[in-house]
Amino acid sequence: MAERVEILISGYGGQGVVRIGQILGQAAVNQGLYTTMLISHGTETRGGYVRSQVVISDGFIASPVVERPDFFLAFSREAHDKFKGLCGAQSVILHNPETFVADAAVPARYLPLPAEALAQDELGSPVYANVILLGALSGQLPLVSEASLLRGLEERLDARFHEANRRAFSLGRNFRI
Amino acid sequence: MKRTFDTGNAAITEGALWAGCRLFAGYPITPATEIAENMSRRLPQEGGFYLQAEDENAALHICNGGSLGGLKAMTATSGPGFILFADPFGWAVSSEIPVVIVNSQRVGPVSGITGAPGQGEFYLSRYLTHGGNYETIVLAPNSVQDAFRLTVRAFYLAERFRTPVIVLADQMVTDGWETLQTPESEAEAREMGLERVERRVNPGPVFYPASSDIDIPPVVLGHNTGAAASDWTPTDRGHDTEDVTWQHKHAWRLIHKILDHRDLIDEAQTWSVDDDPEVILVAYGTPSRVVQSAVEAGRAQGLKVGGIRPVSLWPFQDALFSRKAIYLTVELNWDGQLVREVRRAAAAGSEVHFWGRCGELPSVAELLDTVRQLQAGVALTRDAWRTEKW
Amino acid sequence: MSDDLLEKYVRPEKNPGTACKGCGLRLAHRRVLEAIDQLGLGQGDVVWGTGIGCSGRQTFVTWKGDTFAGTHGRVYALATGVRLALPPEKRLILTVGDGDAFTIGLHHLLHAARRNVDMTVVVFDNLGYQSTGGQYGVTTPVGSRTDSSPYGAWEPNWTEGGHDVLRLVREAGATFVARHTVLQGEAAVTSLKRAIENRGFSLVQLVYPCVTHFGVQALGTRDLGRIYDWFRDQTAEGVAAGGDKRFATGVVHDGVGKRPEFTEALRGFVARVQNGEVQHG
Repeated sequence: MAERVEILISGYGGQGVVRIGQILGQAAVNQGLYTTMLISHGTETRGGYVRSQVVISDGFIASPVVERPDFFLAFSREAHDKFKGLCGAQSVILHNPETFVADAAVPARYLPLPAEALAQDELGSPVYANVILLGALSGQLPLVSEASLLRGLEERLDARFHEANRRAFSLGRNFRI
Repeated sequence: MKRTFDTGNAAITEGALWAGCRLFAGYPITPATEIAENMSRRLPQEGGFYLQAEDENAALHICNGGSLGGLKAMTATSGPGFILFADPFGWAVSSEIPVVIVNSQRVGPVSGITGAPGQGEFYLSRYLTHGGNYETIVLAPNSVQDAFRLTVRAFYLAERFRTPVIVLADQMVTDGWETLQTPESEAEAREMGLERVERRVNPGPVFYPASSDIDIPPVVLGHNTGAAASDWTPTDRGHDTEDVTWQHKHAWRLIHKILDHRDLIDEAQTWSVDDDPEVILVAYGTPSRVVQSAVEAGRAQGLKVGGIRPVSLWPFQDALFSRKAIYLTVELNWDGQLVREVRRAAAAGSEVHFWGRCGELPSVAELLDTVRQLQAGVALTRDAWRTEKW
Repeated sequence: MSDDLLEKYVRPEKNPGTACKGCGLRLAHRRVLEAIDQLGLGQGDVVWGTGIGCSGRQTFVTWKGDTFAGTHGRVYALATGVRLALPPEKRLILTVGDGDAFTIGLHHLLHAARRNVDMTVVVFDNLGYQSTGGQYGVTTPVGSRTDSSPYGAWEPNWTEGGHDVLRLVREAGATFVARHTVLQGEAAVTSLKRAIENRGFSLVQLVYPCVTHFGVQALGTRDLGRIYDWFRDQTAEGVAAGGDKRFATGVVHDGVGKRPEFTEALRGFVARVQNGEVQHG
């Protein structure tokens, strides 16, 4: 049976929800894996969140729906509240503890990472927070290698910011939670 | 083979270009705008023309005109633009002009919900124009790769049948990202099963023969053949007539050129339908992928469940439903459209039920719960077209 | 009617066509053929499109060469696509009615003018909707009795009260615009020749009398002589003239060669992209 990894990314428009999904998908394709990403926008943008549902597998992916996320990158409190119900004991929720704190009623494992503050302190801008979270995810993620993700990062982000993005990725990857 | 991570919008663009599309006229509309954007970048690179029309009606008319002049043409839209095609679609059907139309379905009616997937144009795609007396070819992709393949197929069928072909997608197919493989040589294209027909020019003087033959070159202007294409009922030479005998011949051709060559059109995917299924899930487009997962998961749990995905929607493939079973259509609408056609086509003694929702796909778990209810003879909270309250 | 001009250009089975006895439409159609003939154009040099209504029915597939017809008001969009595909030297002529051009199709007409797409639109204006039995339209003289204005047409139209739809067409970007009545034979043919030769969007409005409906309903006569007298009486020479006359005639705008033609510009743009002279963002 093919291994299937489900990743949910959600937050406000402009937080890089789609971009982070693209980097993950690009990395998977570079490695010869199968991947799908559904993007919800429009109404949901107006409702305060954007969502990427990313599935990565070493076999054909039929349903592209993230029903039980293995990983949930929750960029906002609203996104967390909306989708925490999908998470089970196997789920890992990566979040900024300054945005919201772990919900004891959710059986998932929470990985808090003050990404905005880290980005501001180390890189001079909070915009790198999402790549920091991606770096943290890469340390946990099966199937997709760090090298593929770094290549995906280069292919999907503006070359002018490659150095900063590599540093952000590395900050997240090496962060001790 | 070129392997990229891309959207259905990009897949449709690349499929059209591979098929020889050299004219795109459209009007921006969520969620089909990206097809126009991709075309605006890619078409000039391939020597083709990109135009933004004053509205969707004009967009398809411009495509029709380009095709009438010899260019392969395509437009793309969503529901509110699709409805404006009624007029030029009918013109292309009757004048037998090859053209490809993409509809990325969103939630309706009218402007509805712009960025969420829907499946409200199942019947509209069949009867996109008034007056009847014609058949329609409609293909429904369910993935990025499929969007590429079926766009190529749509151009192929449009040329051979001299008719508009509709690619009926949904927001998840067009906006969704996935692995996309495109051929880098003719050999690779053949390996992928892709086919393309070059445009030919009808020499006249008979432009509209009263036969069901396909592969008759379309009417093309500019070659001084005495070509005629119009909204009027044509004689075989394309002259306007009010004679019902000519009208009968014309209608017969429009219907039978398609019905007599269904082997070229009919396509479906099935899962576990020959393994004694009690319940068969039926879906087209993106929901069909959840159906596939549900059948696989259900079988793993010992449920006698099967799945059917019509890939070509129109003409409707009645033969897919010749088995007596409990059918459940899975649709992205609240009113149930596919279910009506399955009810008509299903073998005697079958039950046909409906599961529908707008904006979100079902989960595998929800579908399997419904399968269990149906097997146990438990009445669904939603009986056919009657939806539960929110 | 039969003569050398018809024999040269018109399909014999479509002669005399669908127009009523005494209708000015045949004369209008003939003016276009005269212009084509005087320009020395042959059957293969012209692609002929038509709209809906009396003008469409009378002129569709009369041309011996290649022909097409659009649904009501949409032939300008259809022709834009045709123009893109045709060799630039082919002349594209559309014969349409006042309803087609100035009402249901005005939006598309103005966009074809905006782009300056190379086509000649000849509006055979019979002052209302005559093929459906005589209802008022946007060129029907105010006050006219028609089947849908039994008390006299009172809606503002496109040609009186200080309005002129041709100024709108000019402002939209057309590079040649003129109005004549069919009775002004020489002036009409001169304008039509200028229009056909223009590598851009041209429009010539040719006002002609409908005897069956407009004559009977609005003028109270079917007598061709009396209807023609009324036309002559209502015609003012010069587009700035007018005054109490219904038809201000002449060349409204001659900007031939002053704006780039759309399909030529598009071909040039595509060539520059292919040569790598322009890059996308």
